[in-house]
Amino acid sequence: MTPTRPAFAVELLVARVLLVGGLVGLALIVFGLGLYAAHGGFHQHVLLLSRPAGDAPPGVFTSLRQIGVGLRHRPVDPLALSALGLVLLMATPGAAVTLAIPSFLAARDFRYATIAALVLAMLLVSLLLAGAIHS
Amino acid sequence: MSLTVFSVAVLFTSLGAGVVGAILGLGGGILLVPILTIFYGVDLHYAMGASIISVIATSSGAAASYLRTGLSNLRVGLFLVMATVTGALTGALLAGVVPTRWLELILGLALSYSAFTTIRQLGDELPRDLSADGLAIRFGLEGTYHDLRLEREIPYRARNVAGGFVAMYGAGVLSGMLGIGSGAFKVLAMDYLMRLPMKVSTATSNFMIGLTAAASAGIYFSRGDIHVLIVAPVAVGVLAGAYLGTTVMARMRNTTVRKLFLPIVVYLALSMILRGLGIHLL
Repeated sequence: MTPTRPAFAVELLVARVLLVGGLVGLALIVFGLGLYAAHGGFHQHVLLLSRPAGDAPPGVFTSLRQIGVGLRHRPVDPLALSALGLVLLMATPGAAVTLAIPSFLAARDFRYATIAALVLAMLLVSLLLAGAIHS
Repeated sequence: MSLTVFSVAVLFTSLGAGVVGAILGLGGGILLVPILTIFYGVDLHYAMGASIISVIATSSGAAASYLRTGLSNLRVGLFLVMATVTGALTGALLAGVVPTRWLELILGLALSYSAFTTIRQLGDELPRDLSADGLAIRFGLEGTYHDLRLEREIPYRARNVAGGFVAMYGAGVLSGMLGIGSGAFKVLAMDYLMRLPMKVSTATSNFMIGLTAAASAGIYFSRGDIHVLIVAPVAVGVLAGAYLGTTVMARMRNTTVRKLFLPIVVYLALSMILRGLGIHLL
């Protein structure tokens, strides 16, 4: 048997992180879209569904720095706000596993603290490898 | 297409994909990519970017609920994710070295066999044998959930853990090499090989797919495949759909979930065999 653990303690923490990450991400996405609509974006814009060669079209961000530039811009780029929400959503599963590690340790479940740390390490390696292959 | 019409239409399509994804433990990519490209004319790269976000959104929305109710088993998920992510890394390194067409054919045939075994199990509400597996006991791969449909606590324990782990690794290799999602393989391995209840299998798959998708989401983002105006309605719709899907699935029979899952396995088997023969459905 796994070492004694408070029932569902880690599960509840991971569930909460997934819920909060999802909801905050969602709120930012919707808020950004709302601002975009308020600025008339939905009236002027005919969405180009094909991928143009050359520069990225409005709504495509390829780095956190670009999102930061959009957020610092006055008035704020509403699509940068939505992009921030998407990045938060993408980071949510990793954050859940990261926070599970101390929670497993607190429950003295060292086996699963190690497994969660291994999973996190492998996620980082695959992210780095993907980045290396891409660049 | 006007942005307003596109956003509203994609929002409702994604709502449906989120419901189906949450019930069946799939990311929704299997449904969303063809719909976005064929019906909405979205570029394949943008559709795949939207698909990866939809997987994470489905996972976050569904797993948050399933973990709270005990339907998703965190330990089973983390234990098996080790195998899939290692497999995906191996597959990514082997891509381009090993010819893929034979692999696609073999995978198609393996999936056809899985479809056959799924048909044989269609009437099994719960696994009958709770016998001990050394690895399951050692790694605590067991649990209990309250089944709202059967109105009782259901205890379960994984069997054939080594077989399931190897299958997950293989699924990871294939998904890394062939660039396909592996939610369906995860469900099959847990349901058929490890003999977990079907609802536990799809709920646990929901947790796992978010982790594996998160590993590759960064590359889609930096490649410029994630278009905010396309992805935003997908994320909103899928998150809402996933939440709705969890409430529906909790009240379903295991046999119903398996019956809904069967067409997905048949579709995957056919598309893999056709790809192996050089015919791409998409």
